[in-house]
Amino acid sequence: MKTITFDVIKRNQIALEMDEVIPDNIYSWEAEDFDKYAVPVGNSRFPITDFFDITVEGTADSPAEVKMIFNGDCGRVKYIGNKMSAGEIIVNGDADLHVGAEMSGGAITVHGNCEAHAGREMTGGTLEIFGNTKEFTGASYIGEWRGMRGGKITVHGNAGKQCGECLVGGHIHVKGDCDILAGIHMRKGLIEIDGNVNRWPGGQMKNGNIIIRGRLGRLLEGFVEEGIVTNPVVNGIEFEGTFIQYKGDIALKGKGHLYIDAEKNRDKLSAWEDEDDEYISLGDNRLR
Amino acid sequence: MEYILKNGIVYDPANEVNGEKKDVYFKDGKIVEDVSADAKVLDVTDKIVMPAGVDTHAHVAGPKLVLGRLYRPEDSRRGVTQKTKNERGESGFSIPSCPTTGYRYSRMGYGTVCEAAMPPLEAKHTHEEICIIPNIDINPLTLFGNNWFILEMARENKIDEMAAFISAWLKITKGYGVKIVNPCGSEAWGWGMNVHGYDDKPPYFDVTSREVVRALAKANEKLGLPHSIHIHPNDLGHPGNTNTTIETLDSLKDIVKSNSKAASVRDQIVHCTHMQFHSYTGTNWRDAGSGAEEVAKFLNHNKHVTGDIGQVTLDETTTMTADAPMEYDLYQLSGLKWVNADIECETAAGIIPCIYSPKTPVSTLQWAIGLELFLLTKNPWQINLTTDHPNAGPFTRYPRIISWLMSAPKRMSMIENEEVHNWAEKRTSLATLDREYDFYDIATITRASNAKVHGFTDRGNLSVGSNADIAVYDLEPNNFDPSKDPEAVEKAFSRAKYTIKDGQIMVQDGEIVSTKPSQVLWTNVKGMEDEEKAVLDQVMPFFTQYYSVKWENYKVHDHFLSNPIRVDIEMEGK
Repeated sequence: MKTITFDVIKRNQIALEMDEVIPDNIYSWEAEDFDKYAVPVGNSRFPITDFFDITVEGTADSPAEVKMIFNGDCGRVKYIGNKMSAGEIIVNGDADLHVGAEMSGGAITVHGNCEAHAGREMTGGTLEIFGNTKEFTGASYIGEWRGMRGGKITVHGNAGKQCGECLVGGHIHVKGDCDILAGIHMRKGLIEIDGNVNRWPGGQMKNGNIIIRGRLGRLLEGFVEEGIVTNPVVNGIEFEGTFIQYKGDIALKGKGHLYIDAEKNRDKLSAWEDEDDEYISLGDNRLR
Repeated sequence: MEYILKNGIVYDPANEVNGEKKDVYFKDGKIVEDVSADAKVLDVTDKIVMPAGVDTHAHVAGPKLVLGRLYRPEDSRRGVTQKTKNERGESGFSIPSCPTTGYRYSRMGYGTVCEAAMPPLEAKHTHEEICIIPNIDINPLTLFGNNWFILEMARENKIDEMAAFISAWLKITKGYGVKIVNPCGSEAWGWGMNVHGYDDKPPYFDVTSREVVRALAKANEKLGLPHSIHIHPNDLGHPGNTNTTIETLDSLKDIVKSNSKAASVRDQIVHCTHMQFHSYTGTNWRDAGSGAEEVAKFLNHNKHVTGDIGQVTLDETTTMTADAPMEYDLYQLSGLKWVNADIECETAAGIIPCIYSPKTPVSTLQWAIGLELFLLTKNPWQINLTTDHPNAGPFTRYPRIISWLMSAPKRMSMIENEEVHNWAEKRTSLATLDREYDFYDIATITRASNAKVHGFTDRGNLSVGSNADIAVYDLEPNNFDPSKDPEAVEKAFSRAKYTIKDGQIMVQDGEIVSTKPSQVLWTNVKGMEDEEKAVLDQVMPFFTQYYSVKWENYKVHDHFLSNPIRVDIEMEGK
């Protein structure tokens, strides 16, 4: 096992691009290799040692045996773990854009906040973020129509706009709140949101599932209520509780499903009768 | 600076040099007969030496490219590289950035590219983009096929006036030749319509495509322009369009070719572009089939026509054309994001991404039809290799197409191993065609024929006095069978050993080692000044009333051009 520690010396004004410094490329590097390496910064390259104190301990024969630890503010360090296929990265601080983008394996943990595009188009592995993330978590690159395809993203804080845009696989779990248009254009996969959702989840979704345990602000017109479900099993996972189940987005003949907590969103239910505080099941196929 | 390319195996179809081992000398940007003893020797022993490539038809500069880049950021991130000592950073796959376009053409051994569609109103923008594409010369073709003035002149059969108008507009736009796109169809799109067939009329203008195309061909020959009319016929991409294509080309066979010096370089009256998109049979995509045999047969019997293929490369790409109604049809089929534009009084435009998947029947059919056209057309001087970049695929796939053409086993393995859909076998004759191109044929369809089609004498050949535009590829043709190793062919043609442009070494071992600003080629007709003034006086009231720009802002002034190459044409009889 090899542990490579990057202690931040200074936060650069222009972002560093660390897509070359991933376990797949550096598992055989020693300290002197880092001394020789110049990292892209804007349209130039500078010695990586200008920005980090790097220590290398142990040896590795494959990327899976590498653990990279970033200590300090990496708020201007982009592409951490970009396209990595194995190994482990721990960021003890914030991370800039594209953390874990296109990763296919391994694990990344960020003990801070992340900028936009965290886990963009990842196909495997796990990305755990203990802070908040900005826009496009697990989404596609701008203009692209294929987002995250596999793996799992866990956000312990809140997620920004268009979380899981164009999702075609994998699992995104946001434990906090989520901004507008979560799961827009999604075609497969699962988005699980424990907190509240601002507006319009699942816009133009064709398939896949979104679970919202909190309060939903506003739903799009393209979702039709299918009824009340209790402890639904979605993507092989049982979710405890009672949910209102919707199908959508019918504007695109979508067959996706949106589940929102029935108790917290009782105003959304079309045939709610709460005189005796009981749910009235609408049956499986009843449409509004 | 003097150079000797020593001991290369030279393919120069314009001079009928077919794989001869010889030296090529160049000095001060030109090919010369001999050099002094001080000349620098570039040892290319047994390697392929050809004139630098000439691309007959591509879309590399202009507003639609910018629009494409803006709305497809996902394309721009493909092929990103860091800047180096000699080049700026690269980006883009199907719509690369301007510098990237120049670098990639250079790496493939190309020196000249035709920008195939320049709307007059957007000509300034096109030239601005050309200025920042390095390493290649570019000759833009001005769009005339749906221009309101042209439609009216065609309706009244005013060929002399039309010739004067073209002459004036080539000066105004700094264009090289006459481009026609879906004649009358792009105009009909202004009313949300299209024309179907060769004898259909757009709303308001009481004129058919046939009348417009014939009039433009006559005017082109009257001026004796170096390039013939360059036509994208009606009904592009529609099953059953083979008839329209043949009817269009056949209608021009009686037009007398100019005997001007400039026009005498070429043989054709009409150049039909991206013929693959115009060679379908059937009535819809369910019963569509290949019309390649009919089109190739027509080419084999008619010397007044040349064409380029527009070979589908089976990639995800971006389509962009002045055939706006066709793009709308494509949008209806795919549902992908679509851009539509109207160029007032002149033309229209549309852009949409397209995924040519080898697993889908239609894409495979298009791929096979393109290859059929290459293999069924007997005379390689009549066809040019293009992908209609980026419409059927990016130009960077030319080496792959070359490898397909040189290897029948490769084509067969793709069909037999189901790398492509079975429509290639069921609906085309591709599996029965065992013809293989040799390096001489490849040199013909990528440089010699292309230069001749455009009326170039200073490029596309290795004659003494021609520009020292030369490509060397790291293959030893005397010790190598391209049929058995198509991958090596693709690799070698992707990364030239040397690319020399105007005597300057731009590429060495596949890497850019130097750059130079592009040059734009435009045609200046002399001797029509009075007629041009008369036609300008005639159109000016309409222009002033209806165009949203003022005349002074419409013209491309000289400072928009970098190092222009003005091709002067003496008007015959003047």
